[in-house]
Amino acid sequence: MTQLNQTNLRFSLSAKLSQYRQIARNGVWENNQALVALLGLCPLLAVTNNTVNGLGLGLATMTVLLTSNLLVSLVRNHVASEIRIPVFVAIIASAVTAIDLWMEAYLYTLHGILGIFIPLIVTNCAILGRAEAFASKNPVDQSLVDAFFVGLGFLLVLVILGSFRELMGSGTLFAQMDLLFGEAAKSLKLSMPDDFHPILMAILPPGAFIGLGLLVALKNMFEQRKSELNRQPLDITEVSADIKPISAS
Amino acid sequence: MIQVSSPFTHNNNSVRKVMLNVQLAALPALFTHIYFFGFGITIQWTLALITLLVVETIMLKLRNRPIWPYLTDFSGLITVTGLVFCIPPEAPWWVIVSGITFAIIFGKHLYGGLGYNPFNPAMLGFAFLLISFPYEMTQWTLPTQVSGYYLSFIDSFYLIFSGQIHSVPLDQITGATPLDEVKTALSTGVTVPTSLMSDSFNAFRIPYGWAAVNIAFFIGGTWMLISRSIRWQYPVGFLLTMIILSAAFNWFDPETYAPVRFHLLTGGLMLAAFFIITDPVSSSTTPMGRFIYASGIAVLVYIIRNWGAFPEGIAFAVLIMNMFVPIIDQYTQPRVVGYRK
Amino acid sequence: MDQNTPSTPSKMTRPGGNLRRKMIQSAFYLSLFTLAGISFLLVTQHITAEPIKQAEKQVLLKTIDQILPTTQYNNDLFTDTITVTSPDYLGTTDPVTIYRARFNKKPVAVIFKVIATNGYSGNIEIITGIYQDGTLSGVRVLKHRETPGLGDKIETRKTDWVLGFSGERLQPDQKRYWRVKKDGGHFDQFTGATITPRAIVKAVKTALDFYQQNGDRLYDSTQSN
Repeated sequence: MTQLNQTNLRFSLSAKLSQYRQIARNGVWENNQALVALLGLCPLLAVTNNTVNGLGLGLATMTVLLTSNLLVSLVRNHVASEIRIPVFVAIIASAVTAIDLWMEAYLYTLHGILGIFIPLIVTNCAILGRAEAFASKNPVDQSLVDAFFVGLGFLLVLVILGSFRELMGSGTLFAQMDLLFGEAAKSLKLSMPDDFHPILMAILPPGAFIGLGLLVALKNMFEQRKSELNRQPLDITEVSADIKPISAS
Repeated sequence: MIQVSSPFTHNNNSVRKVMLNVQLAALPALFTHIYFFGFGITIQWTLALITLLVVETIMLKLRNRPIWPYLTDFSGLITVTGLVFCIPPEAPWWVIVSGITFAIIFGKHLYGGLGYNPFNPAMLGFAFLLISFPYEMTQWTLPTQVSGYYLSFIDSFYLIFSGQIHSVPLDQITGATPLDEVKTALSTGVTVPTSLMSDSFNAFRIPYGWAAVNIAFFIGGTWMLISRSIRWQYPVGFLLTMIILSAAFNWFDPETYAPVRFHLLTGGLMLAAFFIITDPVSSSTTPMGRFIYASGIAVLVYIIRNWGAFPEGIAFAVLIMNMFVPIIDQYTQPRVVGYRK
Repeated sequence: MDQNTPSTPSKMTRPGGNLRRKMIQSAFYLSLFTLAGISFLLVTQHITAEPIKQAEKQVLLKTIDQILPTTQYNNDLFTDTITVTSPDYLGTTDPVTIYRARFNKKPVAVIFKVIATNGYSGNIEIITGIYQDGTLSGVRVLKHRETPGLGDKIETRKTDWVLGFSGERLQPDQKRYWRVKKDGGHFDQFTGATITPRAIVKAVKTALDFYQQNGDRLYDSTQSN
């Protein structure tokens, strides 16, 4: 591990940046915890009946991820592998409880709405998953970048799903943003025209499942399009006789 | 009689023939419905049919399937029939449009089209409407005998497309269904026999309009049974279970539990018995399985009607039993000759 | 603090020197982390305790503001309270805090929560304010699980229905007054949903009954917390 660190230091800045970019890509898109790994679905499905709930839970989860990845990465060389899981759990549980208390103090109403799902962040597999799979094996800077982008990926899904469901089920967008950003954010609220008939199912549990299913399908569709686009130039090289296909070396 | 028609080949034609039979069998109920509740249902039917054609075409195109052969197997018609009778005749136009759209996209094409859908598309669409637009779904047009008004075709047209009508007071022509009425009354301590004396019920203590439509469905359904368009296990298993359950509870406590005739002749009971649970795709494939499937639905309908949050439970009962179909099939597989179980 | 020792079923002998050292080391580290976590949480709890109390008050005050304007009283509502337990009237076996509003020490209104137990889906939590003369200063729904689109018209976000209670009072000569119109009473029901408004009308009425029963005693009692 220490050896690896020293080689890391020798990397140039651009190499570092490309490494970060890879981590970011992975966290937000390729290995999105909600859409690809399908982790943390219980809170995801339960709270996303509007944007502000999704954003609130997303930010809380991200904060927990940052804290736990940071601490796990810091102590990774001092903890014997036999006790690493209990140590991770202690770190995560402390972080979650602290954020729960903090939200109760400064975002009282939102805390009341999100209720049990804030303490339940502790059971979000994505967090222990990142601690075990990434932070316990990588240096602090990379672990923080990973936490940020994995958290962002989760947060984006929460917000998109929340906005979609709020728009369909309540006919509004960004309502009650004041719960998170204070009175000034009240003006953020957008409403559908009066003759819009909200589809209540969207804010009920079935709407969560259908909405998430649609998001996963949408992501798969993008992937498919992309892989089709990537394949085309390859096909051309194969067809033309002059250029030999590049063989794996 | 040795001559046997060909139920063993499943080509486009046989599906089409069965589907047309089903449509024919629904005609008596349609006429009865028009007689009691006005012409609203014909407008809803047209709207549903147009939506069906548009959505099917779009979905088949998106899925790169040939449009004409799939469209002309008429399988979507049963979804239309199933749903149109379930929604209030004067419901706003977007109710039936969104219901059919949801049923066809989420109930049929997302699962891979006809033959692959685990859930009954019509009931999926109905459940979607019930929980999405609870207000619109509870505003039933009252039979002429109850409200004293008969809506003309023009009246219905205006109501469906603009939601307003000036010739008659809106709150006098719509109201709760008999099922809803009895259930709500029970929650305030009014006994079932007292409820059955209300204006919604005729001299035989069966609900105006509703009873006639149910009987018309029974007649059309019996014809389908005789012409072998549907299997007998469905209606027999369903109705038998319903009769036994409602008779037993009514005998046990007539104040709280409605009599058999009430349960058989209200809501969409006969529609379900002959036109909805008989959908071969989403139901069990073994003879014994069909019987179990049908009586399971009856049990759930009875439970939801009496103790559930909704006055009518057919949609949810069918969808729940749809989920049990694989298990039922597995345990009711007929023994192959020569093999021991 | 006792720690789990890694069990090695195949070895029956006691752990050797090296392993034992490792075990003790692990136990030490685990305890250290647990202790660090606990102290961190204790500090957080200490820091947030006061803000949480403040936020709780703030939110309650905001709700009370809706049913009793701050200009009508000048005492500190949070110190001028009594707690009563009255399952028959207030719908809960838990003690209910009654806030007493006074203007220059003269009684103005009492504010307390009531639970409507016979809603369509679960309990409905209501807050009521009753003036000293027995008229309602206002009613708000705090928590409910009624059907969206039908029963949720009791929220001020959806309709003004619940505002209709302000200024109402018990009508001793009219027995059916405190009912929904469908049952021959004075209050509107919603199309498609009668059970929810019926439950609330009943709960508000019992709250008024409760006030009538106890009357000025609610102001007199010096029990406060």
